[in-house]
Amino acid sequence: MNTNPPQNRGLTAIDGAMVLVIVLLIVQIWLLSATLESYLAGHKEAAIPGAIISAVLFLACLGLYRFVAQIDSEVRR
Amino acid sequence: MFGMEFYVDPSRCIGCQSCLKACEECDTHRGVSMINFDFIDREQTIATAAYVCWHCADPTCAQVCPADAIKKYEDGIVGSSLKPRCIGCSNCVLACPFGIPKLVPQYEQMMKCDMCYDRTSVGKRPMCATVCPSQALAYVTPETIAQTRREKPVNTFWFGNQKITTKVYMMAPAEAGEIAIDVADYVWEEERELVPQAF
Amino acid sequence: MSWFRRPSSTPLWRDEFPVFTADERYVSRRQFTKFLTLTSFGMMVGNLWILAKSTFERPASYPEVPVAAMGEIAVGGVKIFNYPTAADPCILVRTAGEQYVAYSQKCTHLSCAVYYEKDRNRLECPCHQGFFSVADGAVLQGPPQRALPRVVLARKDGQLVAIRMEGETA
Repeated sequence: MNTNPPQNRGLTAIDGAMVLVIVLLIVQIWLLSATLESYLAGHKEAAIPGAIISAVLFLACLGLYRFVAQIDSEVRR
Repeated sequence: MFGMEFYVDPSRCIGCQSCLKACEECDTHRGVSMINFDFIDREQTIATAAYVCWHCADPTCAQVCPADAIKKYEDGIVGSSLKPRCIGCSNCVLACPFGIPKLVPQYEQMMKCDMCYDRTSVGKRPMCATVCPSQALAYVTPETIAQTRREKPVNTFWFGNQKITTKVYMMAPAEAGEIAIDVADYVWEEERELVPQAF
Repeated sequence: MSWFRRPSSTPLWRDEFPVFTADERYVSRRQFTKFLTLTSFGMMVGNLWILAKSTFERPASYPEVPVAAMGEIAVGGVKIFNYPTAADPCILVRTAGEQYVAYSQKCTHLSCAVYYEKDRNRLECPCHQGFFSVADGAVLQGPPQRALPRVVLARKDGQLVAIRMEGETA
């Protein structure tokens, strides 16, 4: 059992990762709305690059979440 | 907190029960004292001992609580049960090696000493330590204890093979390193059996 | 999901509901980041959905529906009709003597019905002040991003007939 409370170690890194995820999320929101608008207007060319970039953004978010989970497990165990 | 620690010396207790009355005055639990007050062997001696929660480093009560109602704060104080969460199951009452938590049936809630967190978190002393005339319950700096007492503070207890480290110190004779408590010593086997002292 | 969690000596419930209040800062931040990642996944699914629709879509076939007789409405007048289905409102505008234009009446912003503003000669959406050109349905002003889909008209036997839609995905 962990009997020592953790210090503030890693909290700054976690906060930074969270802010980065939020920024990537905002970009992804815009990308989705722009792709949707162009698709509805009949231009189908934007669908493929939109999907690829959205997947890249999601993988970046996933990597940042794994980073947060790693810091959490290092500090608390 | 603020450099002061809590020291318990049962040999100084005179049985005045001021700590009980002072603890009862707290508005958050008015009328219910959180002091565990023992008559050691009332038939044979006037010796008494008053105990507060030991605020263990790894609190057993918190570990066994099924409702996540007992929390240990950053300065080491183990809080009393959180009102919205406690279900009154008595797991902590049974689990605590020192027998500190009490289940209050009319509230269906566990209540225990939280070292007057509203006072100690701003640098005041707990109520019991403030009023104890013999300073059996003392809330002072370690330097004061070293200068004014012959006994040495001990905060490691052995219950069988289980080692418990606490935030509250017990004053023990200078040669005692850690305090081992055998629970079997406190089991009454005959009606008139004397209870041996822990140390 | 056990592969996702790092090996730990404490059970999952003890990690998620810590005894120490100091630990809760880590737990709440991690859970929020997990929620954000889930939202990101949802948006990626949205983009993939658009990709799937654009790849596997068949080109639409439109019916021929008579809309109005040639002299039915005055110059500067409008007629509301439904094309291609009964659920798609459209607006027909007679801009000059023999000039007719027709568009879908659903604003491309949030599908409010657009009106013909005669004195300014433009189509107006009253909901969020979006304005479209009567000449080609392009956006003049406001929140809409896309032009109004146009109904292509043909003249047959003194009648205006809608033959297909342009500028939209079915």
